[in-house]
Amino acid sequence: MKQKITIIFLLLTVTIMLNAQITHHGFVRTYLGALTDQDGEYSVLQNTFDWKLDYGKGNVALFINPVFDYDALNNNLDISIRQSFMEIYFNNFDLRIGKQQIIWGKADGVFITDVISPRDLSEFILPDFEEIRIGTNAIKFDYYSGNSTFEAVWIPTFQATILPEENSIWSPEMTYPLMFIDYEYSNVEVENKLSESEIALKYSYLGSALDFEVMAAYMWDDNPAMHIFAQPDTTILIKPEYHRLPLAGASFSKAVGGAVVRGEGAYYFEKRFAAEDLSVNGVKEKDYAQYLIGYDHNWFGMNISFQFIQEYILDYEEDMRNDEFSNTMTFLITEDYLRETLRLEFFTYYGINNEDALLRPKIAYDIADGFEVQLGANIFVGEEGNFGQYDENDMMFMKVRYDF
Amino acid sequence: MKKITIILMAVLIMTATLTAQEITGLKIIENVYNRPTGQDQEGDLTMALINSRGDERVREIKQFLKEFGDMEKKIMFFVSPADVRNTSFMYWSYDEAEKNDDQWIYLPALKKVKRISSDSKSDYFMGSDFTYDDLGDRQPSSDSHKLLREETIDGEDCYVVESIPKEEEYMYSKTVSWIIKDKWIGKKKEFYDEDEDLLKTLTVKETEVIKDYIVITLSEMHNVQKDHTTKMILKNVTLDTGFSDNKFTERMMKRGM
Repeated sequence: MKQKITIIFLLLTVTIMLNAQITHHGFVRTYLGALTDQDGEYSVLQNTFDWKLDYGKGNVALFINPVFDYDALNNNLDISIRQSFMEIYFNNFDLRIGKQQIIWGKADGVFITDVISPRDLSEFILPDFEEIRIGTNAIKFDYYSGNSTFEAVWIPTFQATILPEENSIWSPEMTYPLMFIDYEYSNVEVENKLSESEIALKYSYLGSALDFEVMAAYMWDDNPAMHIFAQPDTTILIKPEYHRLPLAGASFSKAVGGAVVRGEGAYYFEKRFAAEDLSVNGVKEKDYAQYLIGYDHNWFGMNISFQFIQEYILDYEEDMRNDEFSNTMTFLITEDYLRETLRLEFFTYYGINNEDALLRPKIAYDIADGFEVQLGANIFVGEEGNFGQYDENDMMFMKVRYDF
Repeated sequence: MKKITIILMAVLIMTATLTAQEITGLKIIENVYNRPTGQDQEGDLTMALINSRGDERVREIKQFLKEFGDMEKKIMFFVSPADVRNTSFMYWSYDEAEKNDDQWIYLPALKKVKRISSDSKSDYFMGSDFTYDDLGDRQPSSDSHKLLREETIDGEDCYVVESIPKEEEYMYSKTVSWIIKDKWIGKKKEFYDEDEDLLKTLTVKETEVIKDYIVITLSEMHNVQKDHTTKMILKNVTLDTGFSDNKFTERMMKRGM
């Protein structure tokens, strides 16, 4: 069936290309990952064809980004549309309608005000960010005045974060033994109706002194709260349920000397957190804040970037599973050699509370323009926490990518 | 009659002497810096990177620049190679010597405009032989200038000016420029490394007069130490068309050309 869809799609596309001025580009990539703690067992063997097609005439533009992923380990072809939208340009405003990735904020690799597009976490946070973000069906309106932009986004239907499958190596560790858990998914759907839609507003300014954004949104929490019900037979019943999550936030970036200082923060109202107290079904509503300060600098040709992130649960109670304060740091260093054909990169997340980390060294070499080979590793350190829980999943990988 | 002739000769000699005295290294470089280049410019820039074996890699950019009083704004849209396509780079530079430039980059994979460090001036632009600083207009007050001599190159009479940076840790120990007299445009420039050895030579190969402005359309930077050359070709140049100020905004960086 999927092959037929592919053929039909290709035929349609080629037909359209012959009849209209469509530009296209994209990449082809082979991705091989092996788990070093599992005798080199392959965890990823994937071929990807990412195709981007643009059409523009007058003040109207169309864009579609079909992605063909062939999983050679499971002999499975997955076809998806990452983005597909139409865009209308006016003198002072633009309108974009359709499935689109919307990225907000100044943080790198951390999602604070960047909450519009949900994420595909089926492989944790290891894929490229372009591939982690799921296109969301939205109408986006941008009004421009000088260096200012007012943006309004309406998302008529809720799209949740894609979590790893239960048997995946990226499935997060469970608090309870699996054998004692039952799930009931009756509350997990958010109805497709106007009253359940999401809306987000942003004002941004880009100027010599400072770049900043101020935002507010009435969203759904992309992750479900796990409501727990103790059963008479000593098992527990978990009912996942999505909840509304209003938030307001801001971000900035500013040149200081030759460096760039960045900041971002958001206040989330009544976010649901897991707790021991079963009288409230293991879920407590608390206001929550997350904020970051970052510093980017070019030092002897090396680009260096630090970020410190703190999460704070207000009105904290001792039985809550999260810490009152969670602190994380990120560190990135990149340097180019051989006229930008060889790039060395080292990126790390360090969870201060649990002393865990994800280390991501990478070397990338351009064999020819647009033809790149990457070798790298994802090394998890620690015993618990966001990264330490995957200590058994250390991985070496190779990617060969051709952009056209 | 003899008196008049003597007086005239004396005036001419005095004028010539004064002119010769007035022209200094600093004045020559200021004249180059202040040479009219138009209020705005649009063009297609091609950089050919040629290594010592003669292998060539090509980068194509569409660029726009415009004067805004005491600042200049420039935006570049990368066309090729394919892996940098739709990347854009915006650069605001200021006449005020102490004020750092503002720089932003838009990476289509990240889908956001990111302010970047202006301390990367000594980095090479897209793997070429030009640093970011080589591509900008360096403030005359940043260096001490000395007129060395006058020379003729390719039939053009030139001033030869040595410029030594006031900043101790600048990437070049000195530069030597050949400036065409009266046109106030560079013909050739040598860049010396920290050990005062010749590092690179920039040669202006072709210029074009467009709307009374002289525009460099073909130049070549040769790294003599690595025997690597970058040819920079500017095509389809238009000047003073009065395109919108809104070209230099976050909107255009994301939207593209």
